[in-house]
Amino acid sequence: MKIKVGSLIPELIRHFFKRPVTIDYPFEKITMVKGFRGTPILSPERCIGCRACERDCPASAIEIIQISPQEEKEKKLQMTIHNDRCVHCAQCAESCPTKALAMDSEYELAADSRKELKAVYTYIRASLSNIPKEPPTPPQTP
Amino acid sequence: MAVVKTLLYLFVYPGLLFLLLYSTFCEWVDRKLYARFQNRIGPQYTGKQGILQPIADFIKLLVKEDIVPEKADKTMFHFLPVFGITTVMTAGLYLPLWNVSSIVPAYNSFPGDIILVAYLLSLPTLIFFLAGWHSTNVFAGIGGVRVLTMLFAYEVPLLLAILGPALLAGSWRLAEIARFFQHHPSLLIVNIIGFFVGLITLQAKLERVPFDIPHAETELAGGTFAEYTGRGLAYFRLLTDIQMVVGAGLLATVFMGGFPGGILLGLFHFIWKTLIIIALLSLMRAGYARLRIDQMVEFSWHWLAPLSVIQLAIVLLVKGAL
Amino acid sequence: MKNKITIGPQHPALKEPISLRLTYDGDIITDADLRLGYTHRGLEKLAEGKSYIQNLYLTERICGICSHSHTTAFALGVEQLMGIEPPKRGTAIRTIIAELERIHSHLLWLGVAAHEIGFDSFFMYTWRDREHVLDILESISGNRIHYAINTFGGVRRDIDQDQRSTILEQIAHLQKRTEYYLNLGKTEPTLTARLAGVGKLSKEQAIDLCAVGPTTRASGVAQDIRKDDPSLSYPDVPFEIALSDTCDVLGRVVVRIKELISSYTIIEYLLKNLPDGEIRVKAPRKVPEGEVISRYEAPRGENIHYIKSNGTDKPERLKVRAPTLANYPATVEMLKNVFIADVPLIFAAIDPCVCCAERVIELVDSHTGRPEIITMSQLRTEANNYYRKKNIRNKEYLWPW
Repeated sequence: MKIKVGSLIPELIRHFFKRPVTIDYPFEKITMVKGFRGTPILSPERCIGCRACERDCPASAIEIIQISPQEEKEKKLQMTIHNDRCVHCAQCAESCPTKALAMDSEYELAADSRKELKAVYTYIRASLSNIPKEPPTPPQTP
Repeated sequence: MAVVKTLLYLFVYPGLLFLLLYSTFCEWVDRKLYARFQNRIGPQYTGKQGILQPIADFIKLLVKEDIVPEKADKTMFHFLPVFGITTVMTAGLYLPLWNVSSIVPAYNSFPGDIILVAYLLSLPTLIFFLAGWHSTNVFAGIGGVRVLTMLFAYEVPLLLAILGPALLAGSWRLAEIARFFQHHPSLLIVNIIGFFVGLITLQAKLERVPFDIPHAETELAGGTFAEYTGRGLAYFRLLTDIQMVVGAGLLATVFMGGFPGGILLGLFHFIWKTLIIIALLSLMRAGYARLRIDQMVEFSWHWLAPLSVIQLAIVLLVKGAL
Repeated sequence: MKNKITIGPQHPALKEPISLRLTYDGDIITDADLRLGYTHRGLEKLAEGKSYIQNLYLTERICGICSHSHTTAFALGVEQLMGIEPPKRGTAIRTIIAELERIHSHLLWLGVAAHEIGFDSFFMYTWRDREHVLDILESISGNRIHYAINTFGGVRRDIDQDQRSTILEQIAHLQKRTEYYLNLGKTEPTLTARLAGVGKLSKEQAIDLCAVGPTTRASGVAQDIRKDDPSLSYPDVPFEIALSDTCDVLGRVVVRIKELISSYTIIEYLLKNLPDGEIRVKAPRKVPEGEVISRYEAPRGENIHYIKSNGTDKPERLKVRAPTLANYPATVEMLKNVFIADVPLIFAAIDPCVCCAERVIELVDSHTGRPEIITMSQLRTEANNYYRKKNIRNKEYLWPW
């Protein structure tokens, strides 16, 4: 086992002439890959109110309540997505039978209070017959 | 006129103001080089390319709260950092920077001032030990004991290494040693082993990797400086910076031919010679792991001390041949 | 003179809180005492109130570094209870992610060990290489740390052709870098001086104290769940167990670097021979009654999950035995008769993942040797009596603002 004193020294000197790998955040930002799991975004025209997402969320981050009275034919639902509780696992997007939930690529989620991180959607429940064919793609933040 | 010159020497150049500014600049150079060796950026935002970062750190530490442990001695606790800075700054005053002419040596040199500089540069070690002892913290106590153990290891090779050029020049006065080597530049090669021994022992004196056992962060939670916060820590960090500059200046005087020329030319030589030494110290800091205390003592007495004795033998042979 | 020194729970050497109480004499440790419990989160109780699908994400968050090992062990156990078997392509993708996780964990450990001995340049270089692995994982699964790629019956995402070629390129680059680090470990004198001869654990001691993972493989014990009890795609892939017989920290470094190199070959083999087909099968929501133990080779050793189900969609009991818990008795033995300067390195050499190991532990009465389980109300009354006797009301405390 030959001992060489200073075997890291040539590597160090070589690195002196290379560009540093550090990214100068927040002045430089990287774009996220396709398929990055950010926050859930709802497309309200596709939601049929089956509550599969609410049942499967590990962090109880989706809450669906019915705000129209019981006897009305067109049910009006309100979904609150608690982004402060969300663990970004994308199980809701997977459990949804109509692909109404999708994950965007938002990762800068710091806020001053938890109330700012709640997203509320009020919509009329869709029925299975009149859902558009293609699910919309969620916004990708640059 | 002489009074004004003395005051200028003491407080502006090469005294208080110059040492403070230049040592923060050298800390920036060290941090930036260390980062570039590791493929990182280093300080970036304060000032252009982060050059004001060490000053910003110093000011930040000054405004933090000063906490003294309950059982510690308050006077000694506050007094030690200030005393330390005084010691190294006084040592810095004896570097032959302000050569008036080639015949009259530097402003306040006297025969034997190499011993004075070496002594003043070894006082901070005692101060670190006292600081660790007075902190009444187990980790700081262990750190203090290790500081003194290291002193037994590196001090002898350092003194022997500095002795070599002094013997060759035939004088104990820093300015005369520098002047001798300015007149005979080819004799600098004789002391090359001593230069490397001096570099390694300077790294040990400054307590940087691979010799930073006394205040190893991951082992002793800060070692001798564990209980110092606020002003005391700011002064201790400044102490290590100034010690680096003065130590590099000492090595540059003895091994690299000093700082010839008047005020401005001497300053230029001082800057480039100390920057080379600091770059070599940074490279050493980036390239090695930390040694244990017993390994360091063994390394020093098995390798450094014999090398410096060999260096002395070479010097004596050359002096006899000349 | 005998002194006691406490390392932790807050200490710059430790990444997670644990209390090591060491008795030392001069500069040598004579006795060590390990105290746990600072990051206990009550995960096993929490798992009883959530459904199996939700528990998949809960077990993932037991640890950040070895997250995939916990969900795979859980998913393997529950799939056995359900009686379903995932398709070959799904298992192959699970194995690829498992090996990628092993690579990232070992590179992380190399950096942390280098930082413990003060070698910061090595730390920066290995973590820079680790970024390549995390980028691959992000492109496959959508996140750098908690991949969440397992589901009951297979995996959730597929690997396409572009990703396959990128991964093969990155693995080739990482292989060159790992070989450079192996050479560095052999020739750099300060590194070998710190690592060699430190933290000795002989082969008999490793077997007696039930050490797992690279800690025991460095003492020459050939124990690897990937060979002893193979699951996933490991029976189809040819690879070697990494062994070393130096029984010290240098051996553990060498074992981990060898495991890195064998992980590269496993991933290359699987990517080149990826079977076609589906990636998942449908899993029922309610799990039939039964109990199962599933074992998995995490980067740190043997990970055991015990699941008991009672026919509903929530588990009755989940018990996790993480590898670090099995290594603690060996650590206490290794810490005797060493220098204080070596303590952080020896503790870091078992690759501690304290948050994995903080589960329910039995209390054993030291006088009678009987294990005892105390209920919460009993513990509360005992604690109140203890503090009432200590009379803490008369002490002066400064309220920290």
